[in-house]
Amino acid sequence: MEELLQDVVNVLVSIVEACGAAVIIIGAVWAFARFVWVGLRRRDTSAFVPVRLTLGRFLALGLEFQLASDVLRTAVAPSFRELGQLAAVAAIRTVLNYFLGKEIAEERRQVAEEAEGARAGSGSTSAHGPRDPA
Amino acid sequence: MTGVLLTLPGLMAQLLSGAALLAGVLTLAATRKPALALSVFLDLLTAAGLLRLVGDPSWQAIATAAVIVGLRHLIALGLRIGARNWTTSTQAPGRHGSRPGVVIDRLLRPAWRR
Repeated sequence: MEELLQDVVNVLVSIVEACGAAVIIIGAVWAFARFVWVGLRRRDTSAFVPVRLTLGRFLALGLEFQLASDVLRTAVAPSFRELGQLAAVAAIRTVLNYFLGKEIAEERRQVAEEAEGARAGSGSTSAHGPRDPA
Repeated sequence: MTGVLLTLPGLMAQLLSGAALLAGVLTLAATRKPALALSVFLDLLTAAGLLRLVGDPSWQAIATAAVIVGLRHLIALGLRIGARNWTTSTQAPGRHGSRPGVVIDRLLRPAWRR
């Protein structure tokens, strides 16, 4: 019975980890293509921010999958060595997920501030714009 | 399936490390902003580090990923502090703008040495 549980959990761990890896790979390849495109065509600093935000979201999603596989692994972790490795990997992933969330929030705030500034600038321009001569 | 899960992420992690270097250099050439180029480089390097943790990672892979994550935040913090100092020191007088001569003069003779 225990061996069956171990086999089932191992298969589930493999599937969940594969999903996480796929998400990270897709996000990284997409971001690399966008970085190259933005670097060659637009050469604008602000154009890089949305790409970095999207890559951060992909990485956070991939990390969620990987943390889920860590949780599954705790169901069967026979030795203290494996438990130690699992704890280290889970700690790294959790810390990274936390900081990624903070970075995404910070960059999103900056983008919103820039957009608001641009809107205020265009609003003041239109307020002082051409007036009726009468 | 486990074999593929062990080999493919490792291969992709190596490819992503190369792509990170390429994207960083391209960003630096396109924008001439080292901070942004370093951020792009470290973003993709983080993705590569995460892929190395897939499967059954060794202690060395775990330590490498931890060092990359720590280094990334240390560098980002240093760049933020440096950018803040640089912005305040170049904007404070505000009379000469940011002409190259003024910038070089400020680098060689900062305000506290005058």
